[in-house]
Amino acid sequence: MFDFAKKAIEIAEKHKADFGDIRVIETRDQDLSVKNGEIGSLNDSLTLGFGVRILFDGAWGFASSDIMTEREVERVTLRALEIARASATLRAGKVRLAREAAYQDFWQTPFLKDPFRISVQQKLDLLFAVDKVLRKDKKIKSAVSGMNFIREHQWHMTTEGSKIEQVLLSSGTGYMATAVDKGEAQVRSYPSTHGGETLGMGYELIDMLDLAGNAERVREEAVALLTAAPCPGGERDLITYGNQLALQIHESVGHASELDRVLGYEESYAGSSFATTDKLGKFRYGSPIVNLVADATLPGGLATAGYDDDAVQAQRWHIVKDGILSGYMTNREFCGRIGKERSWGSCRADGYANIPITRICNLSLMPGTADYEEIVRDTKDGVIMENNKSWSIDQKRLNFQFGCEIGWLVRNGKRMRMVKNPTYQGITPAFWNSCDAIAGPEHWRLWGVANCGKGQPGQRAMMCHGNSPARFRKVKTGVKA
Amino acid sequence: MKEHKKICEKIFSLAGRCQAEVLVSSSESALTRFADNVISQNVSNTATDISVRLLHGGRVTRFSLNQPSDKALKAAFAAAHDALAAQKPDRALEDLPKGAPVKESSKLFFPGTAALSPLYRAGKAGALIRKCKKAGAVAYGTLENGFRRTTLANNRGVFASHIESYAVYSVTVRDGDGFGWAERAALDARTIDFDGADRTALEKARLSKHPKGVPPGRYTVILEPAAATSLLSYLGVYGFGGQFYNEGQSFVTGKLGKKVVSEKLTLLDNALDGPAAGMPFDYEGRPRRKVALITKGRAEAVVHDRHSAAKAGAASTGHALPLPNTFGPVPLNLSLEKGDTTLAEMIKSTKKGILVTQFHYTNLLRPLTVEMTGMTRNGTFLVEDGRVTAGIKNLRFTESIVSALNRVAAVGSEPELYLEWGRFCAPALKLEDFNFSSATEF
Repeated sequence: MFDFAKKAIEIAEKHKADFGDIRVIETRDQDLSVKNGEIGSLNDSLTLGFGVRILFDGAWGFASSDIMTEREVERVTLRALEIARASATLRAGKVRLAREAAYQDFWQTPFLKDPFRISVQQKLDLLFAVDKVLRKDKKIKSAVSGMNFIREHQWHMTTEGSKIEQVLLSSGTGYMATAVDKGEAQVRSYPSTHGGETLGMGYELIDMLDLAGNAERVREEAVALLTAAPCPGGERDLITYGNQLALQIHESVGHASELDRVLGYEESYAGSSFATTDKLGKFRYGSPIVNLVADATLPGGLATAGYDDDAVQAQRWHIVKDGILSGYMTNREFCGRIGKERSWGSCRADGYANIPITRICNLSLMPGTADYEEIVRDTKDGVIMENNKSWSIDQKRLNFQFGCEIGWLVRNGKRMRMVKNPTYQGITPAFWNSCDAIAGPEHWRLWGVANCGKGQPGQRAMMCHGNSPARFRKVKTGVKA
Repeated sequence: MKEHKKICEKIFSLAGRCQAEVLVSSSESALTRFADNVISQNVSNTATDISVRLLHGGRVTRFSLNQPSDKALKAAFAAAHDALAAQKPDRALEDLPKGAPVKESSKLFFPGTAALSPLYRAGKAGALIRKCKKAGAVAYGTLENGFRRTTLANNRGVFASHIESYAVYSVTVRDGDGFGWAERAALDARTIDFDGADRTALEKARLSKHPKGVPPGRYTVILEPAAATSLLSYLGVYGFGGQFYNEGQSFVTGKLGKKVVSEKLTLLDNALDGPAAGMPFDYEGRPRRKVALITKGRAEAVVHDRHSAAKAGAASTGHALPLPNTFGPVPLNLSLEKGDTTLAEMIKSTKKGILVTQFHYTNLLRPLTVEMTGMTRNGTFLVEDGRVTAGIKNLRFTESIVSALNRVAAVGSEPELYLEWGRFCAPALKLEDFNFSSATEF
């Protein structure tokens, strides 16, 4: 494939581009789901295409195509050059990329079981078995279970001499039961919402999760939620974990620390950030026990790879260290704006058809020292919330509101009754500064975000947010319409 | 279209005894993005995607690819046959529909719009940037254009093809701590008022400088068309899809024929003509029907594909998404009938209220009441004694949209088209007692 790709590099060099690269990408995507006893989806997709990025006269152009001929590579590269020339008519200064060594390397997601070698029958048998258990109660009006496997084979070549081949693999699964009765609808999911859990590994993820073993509990909790009391309004301690805490990290720290957004380059769509560069190294983002680490080398992470799409080698760095804002998600174009000579390497594109942009890396809340049971025992008036159901945050990443599937009140150190429609609302720095307990490494686990949207045209990216249960003091809960 | 036909025929020839449905989509798209008064991203893409649904003996599978070589197709068919063999037969699975060819619609394709050059887009961005620099402001936004041809055919006689172009100009202006926004979408770029959008965004940014804080609470709210559309889109998707209706997850389940919102509201799904027209067939190749969802506040109907229609004892309205899927049919060509009140008149008749330009990050909390939350953005204003008196800091709303749409004070007379979950054309709305649940810092 590098033979195919080199034509773009030759053209970029011939036209004296400041920088040029080509990414050829083949993606296999298998999606299976069962809904209410029927096939919900069963699609096996294979796409191949290439995208060419040209930096010319200090300005960017990008073009892509799925026509795999040498003539088309030439047309697309010249198109990217034409677009770069148009960009140059409206630039302030010249774009300069931070330096990075040239690499010639192969990297692959480690896995135990290739999901594409597991038969469709085996996968469907498991999903139908789960579906049957979920629908044993007539109040369950919708039961959806699914699996998704993606293998992305990349060939990345740059005018700087990098030739990087990577094979990235992800596996995902989950299910959701919706109970409906007397004008009320309630949902429970396993192991998490929004399509379930997705990680950078093989079919061993499905084996690990014991899908069938949790279906009965999920069904019963969905039905029980129909008659549960609503989460009361007021200020109380919040204990949360799993994919809810993952999304809290994602929305209020991950996006807030994307340097392109911080500098205003996302203002027209997703917005900007309160975490401006003047705050770097001094702003108290959270309490001293809050440590948030970005890590492109993390085993199982969805953003884990040998290199990002700027051809920068994978790294690990702090975004928040001991509560202080300490870093950003960067690419090679913008890292110089915060005095960094080298990008931290968090620039990725969605497939071949999109230009690489700054994305959230795997970003995890480091475990603390508390015992989870002790956190509950030490809470007088609180609520435990599990599994994200809805999310919303303002365009500077300050005011957020989350809704979860299920909650349990905590009174005087004991977990009490179940509550439905739990919600909480807060302002990012105040919220993270109210964090006074984080459970230890024995509770720490990775949670995948498989569908993070950003950019124009819209791009999807995947990343993980590890966490163990944490407590936040005096949070506004039970927001009412 | 000839290329699409050739692809379909090749796939039908390989389908053997299977019923085969082919969805081919070819597109050219380009987008120029600007920020901080410079072009920040500038891209173009050419793509053809092919997706094949196979049915045999009550079993179904789908495969997709973009390189339809003989070798690739042979491998895809082999895997598809394995996937079919892995299933137990589903006796209720519908055969692919039979059908006569559907006439191609060409009135929505404008070649000049599809072919706008990078320099044209840079020119429009440059015009706004110059105005912003002159005003001491900063421009952000996008201008995108392109076309898409979609063909849906099966080996039982259905063949339908549709092509349309599009252009969307979306601009945000920052003036100090003030923000303004405007967007214009059209299938023919020549109808876009670029200068008008620039003026609106600049003026809103100027007026919203030095925003003051107002306490959260219940206010009369004037939602400009973009803000109204954000709420109405959820109503369309979660209220009027046949599958949600069948499962009891829609707020109109059991309420067809009854008043569900203000009698000032009439909501229509119409792909065939009118302001939100689009592809005249669905992803089963069935012709889309015009469906009155709400007439003068009364729930009239929901949309169906053949699957949800069979369960409801109704007929398909031609609203299928690619099948099989877990989401069911959705209305994608929505328009809210305009009223007779201009935006200026809405403001003039308001003693105390809030004018909202745009909502940000809206999301659903509870489907049965369409309870939602979201933030205001890019120009939120206090209205007092019939005039806009100040820009205000942004607010979060938490509100049942069904309940809010029972408190409609006025419907606007100037609808605008937005490309949101398909397309939606809506005017401004004035609502009473709209719940803002919290505030933010800017």
